[in-house]
Amino acid sequence: MENIAASRCPDCGWMVAPPARICPRHPVEMTPTEVSGYGSVLSYTTLTVAPEGFKPPLHIAVVELQGGARIFCHGKETRALKIGRRVAIEQVDGIFYFANLAIADRATLFWKRRGGAPERTRDAVKSAVKRFFNVYAENGAGAPSPTEPTEIRTNATDTESTPAARK
Amino acid sequence: MRDVWIAAAAMTRFGRRSEKLEDLMADAALEALREADRQPEALVVTAMAPEGFVGEGNFASHIGTYIGLSRVPGLRVETATSSGAAALYAGFALIASGFHNHVLVVGGEKMTHVSTPRVSEIISRVIDPHERSYGATMPALAAIVARAALAKGLITETDMARVAVKNHSNGARNPYAHFQRPVTIDEVMSSRMIADPLRLQHCCPISDGAAAVLLTSDPTGLKLAGMGQGSDYLAVRYRSSLTGFRATQDAAKAAYKMAGFGPERVQMAEIHDAFAPFEILALEDTGLFPLGKAAKAVQNGELTLEGRLPVNPSGGLKARGHALAATGLAQVVELAWQLTGRAMGRQAEARVGLAHSIGGMASNNWVTLVEQVA
Repeated sequence: MENIAASRCPDCGWMVAPPARICPRHPVEMTPTEVSGYGSVLSYTTLTVAPEGFKPPLHIAVVELQGGARIFCHGKETRALKIGRRVAIEQVDGIFYFANLAIADRATLFWKRRGGAPERTRDAVKSAVKRFFNVYAENGAGAPSPTEPTEIRTNATDTESTPAARK
Repeated sequence: MRDVWIAAAAMTRFGRRSEKLEDLMADAALEALREADRQPEALVVTAMAPEGFVGEGNFASHIGTYIGLSRVPGLRVETATSSGAAALYAGFALIASGFHNHVLVVGGEKMTHVSTPRVSEIISRVIDPHERSYGATMPALAAIVARAALAKGLITETDMARVAVKNHSNGARNPYAHFQRPVTIDEVMSSRMIADPLRLQHCCPISDGAAAVLLTSDPTGLKLAGMGQGSDYLAVRYRSSLTGFRATQDAAKAAYKMAGFGPERVQMAEIHDAFAPFEILALEDTGLFPLGKAAKAVQNGELTLEGRLPVNPSGGLKARGHALAATGLAQVVELAWQLTGRAMGRQAEARVGLAHSIGGMASNNWVTLVEQVA
């Protein structure tokens, strides 16, 4: 699972992402930190009218990461999404995506961004293994158990998934 | 602190206007000056984004000169979409403090000559940069709030439609409104989706218009009984609750405290319904209804012109229109007209009215209480 850059207030312990220089709660310099890219959906929408530079339909979710930091992210779709649902966050070119991604989708994603074929395959497999391990490890560690542990939805036909959706 | 009174209130019709911004603001300002018959000692000007929409800066001097008040000290106030209320507050403070006795406050915005994507882009600059970089527009953030409120059971999609229907019904009776025709629940609920769950008919239009209020220390009978400002993080994601606005809650508390009375005395309200669900949430944030009860009031028709607490008799942002910096002032103009029996065609009975204005995605909000004392 990817780690996400965040910052923590040395006084109140509040975490924000992306990192901020000064705590929004009081004028204190924050300390850089990282949080795990797992979280739960606070709310979401799908824009059918997208602003300049984006292509509709544009799926946006607000996700609360472990430790309380919240981020905005894109996704493939919001149809199956519910408030409170746990998702994985993936960063592509510095952009956050919430992922209910199936292994096949992850492979496609890696295929799109990596170099040579052997490297792609290796990365895709590594990513899948990492993901299963993380889900397993998280459940094992007594974290709130997601009702649908792997949260996998296949929507492999949708090729607009990812960075391409942000023109 | 001295009492502050309204000597005059005027506005242009909101809507798609062919006039220049300067002329719209001049029309409202000159009408207020005629009505008040007092010379302002200070001028407070507001437009949210004249640099972007009409390419003008140094805006207080620009408008001061245009309306023949270049020798009157002027300043420009801006707090995003609540700029009109903020300007009123500045005028209020100038009089309450004893600096001046008569202050002209004028606000306006001209947007319809600019393409809609460009208007959206300019308005989106009021949003936190991280959130904006994900394509978050005002409708997108409002949809995120609405989705959370739906999930909590605070509102239903039918309630949101009812708000739009009620406000259009009021707007149909207001010659100053952008939209002067009623809509049906079906029309609202089948209008095209903008940002799920918000449809076109849940959203306020892009309007041109101007409004002006002349404030004075002379008792006129129409008192600015209380004004309160509340603020919150610019970033929506920093907030502990998505379904209530702390900025409104704080603004309401401050306004009631200054006025020396609570929501029980309020008999009418102009609410910032830029998106229909906001009206319901604001009625609870301002304490006019207990948490979870405002939707019921919409269903029961309590908020119509004939109801127990008429809300948005002008038609609100949805039907009267939303000319950004003019809106907060136009709300107070409507209250002034209503409380003095001059709201022809849509007159409701009230002596105390509340105006609620949202700046940005509720990062800088205002609540104003107007009371007919005489």
